[in-house]
Amino acid sequence: MDQSQLHAFEARCVQDDPPPCQSMCPIHLDARAFAACMQEGRLAEARRILEKSMPLSGLLARLCHGPCQSHCFRAGVDAAVNLPLLERACVENSKAGRPFALPATNKHPGILGGGLSSLTAAWELARKGHAVTLFHSPEGPGAGLPGFLPRTALNEALEILISLGVTLAPLPPALPDFLQRLRDAFPALYIGQDDPELDPETLGLGPGDLRLNPITGETREAGIFAGGFAPGKNASFMDAAMAGKWAAGSVERFLQGVAPGTAREKDGPYPSRLHTSLDEAAPLPPVLPADALRPTPEEAGREAERCLRCQCLECVKKCVYLQSFGGHPKKYAREMYNTVVTVKGHRQANLLINSCARCGLCAAICPHGADMGEFSAQLRKELVNARYMPPSAHEFALEDMAFSTAPDVAFLRPQPGFAGSAWLFFPGCQLPASLPRETEAVYAHLCRHLPGGVGFFLSCCGAPARWAGQEKQTARTAASLRQQWRAAGEPSLILACASCLAFFRAELPLLPAVSLWETLAGLPLPENRADFTPALALHDPCAARGEAGTRAAVRALLARLDREAEELPLGGATTRCCGYGGLMDAANPPLGAAAARARTEDTDKTLLSYCSMCRDRLRATEALSLHLLTILFPGRTPLAEEALRPAPDISRRQEERLAFRTRLLQKIWKEEPRSPSRQERLMDNLLIADDVARRMDERRILRSDIALVLSREDTTLFTRPDNGRSLACCRPRQVTFWVEYSRCEDGTIRIHDAYCHRMVVPGVPDDPDGPISGLAHLPPAGERCCKDATGCGLQKKT
Amino acid sequence: MKDDLSEITAKGWVCGKCGLPLERGPVSITYMKSSFPVDLPRCPCCGVTFIPPELALGKMREVEKILEDK
Repeated sequence: MDQSQLHAFEARCVQDDPPPCQSMCPIHLDARAFAACMQEGRLAEARRILEKSMPLSGLLARLCHGPCQSHCFRAGVDAAVNLPLLERACVENSKAGRPFALPATNKHPGILGGGLSSLTAAWELARKGHAVTLFHSPEGPGAGLPGFLPRTALNEALEILISLGVTLAPLPPALPDFLQRLRDAFPALYIGQDDPELDPETLGLGPGDLRLNPITGETREAGIFAGGFAPGKNASFMDAAMAGKWAAGSVERFLQGVAPGTAREKDGPYPSRLHTSLDEAAPLPPVLPADALRPTPEEAGREAERCLRCQCLECVKKCVYLQSFGGHPKKYAREMYNTVVTVKGHRQANLLINSCARCGLCAAICPHGADMGEFSAQLRKELVNARYMPPSAHEFALEDMAFSTAPDVAFLRPQPGFAGSAWLFFPGCQLPASLPRETEAVYAHLCRHLPGGVGFFLSCCGAPARWAGQEKQTARTAASLRQQWRAAGEPSLILACASCLAFFRAELPLLPAVSLWETLAGLPLPENRADFTPALALHDPCAARGEAGTRAAVRALLARLDREAEELPLGGATTRCCGYGGLMDAANPPLGAAAARARTEDTDKTLLSYCSMCRDRLRATEALSLHLLTILFPGRTPLAEEALRPAPDISRRQEERLAFRTRLLQKIWKEEPRSPSRQERLMDNLLIADDVARRMDERRILRSDIALVLSREDTTLFTRPDNGRSLACCRPRQVTFWVEYSRCEDGTIRIHDAYCHRMVVPGVPDDPDGPISGLAHLPPAGERCCKDATGCGLQKKT
Repeated sequence: MKDDLSEITAKGWVCGKCGLPLERGPVSITYMKSSFPVDLPRCPCCGVTFIPPELALGKMREVEKILEDK
């Protein structure tokens, strides 16, 4: 990734853009912060904010007519916030701060005129450290200011200018070469035309002399600038102040030897791109102060309460991931970029990069389409390619993927009785692991109704590798899928899982792939009907966000089944992720759980999913959760009970996938099951209590890992003579597993605890093909009661 | 890492091979090109090192995380 990609992303996220009240304000007052202080009655702080951008605040705050009001988002609810009211209340009830000036520059620009633009220019230039001389008309500075302005306000402003080192001098009598003499005396000049007493002719200026450069306000003569409204023209005091501030910017650049037109894009008003939702903005009537010229702090406080403190955060409001790191996409993008591209040492944004579900909700909501998932996906690839990806983030998911694609588990067969396949059903890896009965039933249904033979293809699509940023593995998996599809006669693929479909769309776009749901919508309904369905709320998987056809087909199926399902507020194309997408749960388990909870908090009804991972993850939060296939193909268990069925743990998923394969091959293709390996037989004789199994699941330890450790001769490193327990340890791959166990009299093995770490301890056996242990020589399986030394009393798990 | 390991004990475990009670001794554990010299319970004869769950899931995991993000 290069900087242009970062900048392109940053440009899409508008959260850091100033609100329109600030961008369109001629002096860019930070109105949000100012209003916040005024609301809380912190007047001194409010004054400081005012003075940061407002020259001579005692004058200008009383003269401001609030150009921001025509751009205020609040106007879309009732009426714009009356910022001038706040400004007047602030300066009427607080003291002006002592102005701060930069060290003296020994440059001495001159200013002609005593109008507001000249006073403003003097203030700006004096604060830059320049020794300013301001020539005013004989009536004194402040010409053209309105009568309602208290005399004290003008006096205070002049005192401030004098304290900043500004010399106030009356214009000398006009002479033919007056301007030339000024030009010789001052390195730069500003002519403020808003002083009605200042007559260009007396200055010796002809009609063409004040034709100004529209960007810089520079006259035909370099170093002489002019601005401010000409008397009689319809312009405001804010315009005059802006003219003075603008000209000061030109003079400052000129004095520094920089072209006066440099970097002026955001000097004056410019449109803001900030988006602010008004959905939750309640109407609040505008405050009408008793004295409009002198509003009280209390009145200002009430008016300030009407300020919406505009900000976007549309995506953050709806995404637990974006909320959990305390920022917003633009900030995150910078942190991620720095961690991967710029900083060579600490990679503190790794978790930020790896926690995104890549679900696309942010892009669907964002008014400018900023997609955090796409951005983090790119950086994951770069972390992997630079070998900086933390090993623990995705390792388990990738190992699980390797398990599902291995020849022991994966298989492709044509429908019995057909030489080739017109169709190929690809249920994905999680559906058979969680809903084997339904997977089998829907396959039979497809075979019954589709012509030309429906092949069965059990494997993993490769989504975990793609999510993990493993480009090579993704490409390898895609190539293998393509090759197997070709060998099967290039059938039309029917995909049950939306994540598989998304993978095929991205990596194998030329393969004909359609969702199971669209296919089922075009077929007769299954004959059996569930007699009772609880009140349902439909949860769309995040991977179906871009699949309008899939979503419509699911709704059509529900309508044909005569089942109603509530549409969730964040559903359809703006659905939430269950926390599995993008391997969020693998890299950041607490966040994955929070994402699932956030979804279940959207409704009290039973959640209906058409992704088995969504179904299980939502169930794991204790919410009632059903899969659409269970409604379409009801079994003997009532649906109300099905909604309570616990989500299988990680061991169960793998074991079920393997058992599903064995069962299906035997039942449909009449293939003899292979005899179980020693490790598998050992797994069958493990006694694992529920709390231990739960801990193993959290620690990503499989029953097969335990069996692997115990099947080796050399792994039992420690024993406890007092209770007969043993502690075995092995490092078959990057993880070291420890297993505390005891042997029962009947040969079964009770597991008391299992834990793991990635740090390497010397002396730990690490050969997965080491000598076979005595534990692996088991008596024939059967119903046995455990009678070990500690009397665990457990029944063997079946 | 060293300072926090003084409370790690082997609570009745003996070496499965030598049958000897464990004693604290210097061990070097490594991860991602970093190694940490620590004192841990180990067999005084064959030197096999004992890692209890509170160490694996506590301090070790903490250090792993730090090294992975470095």
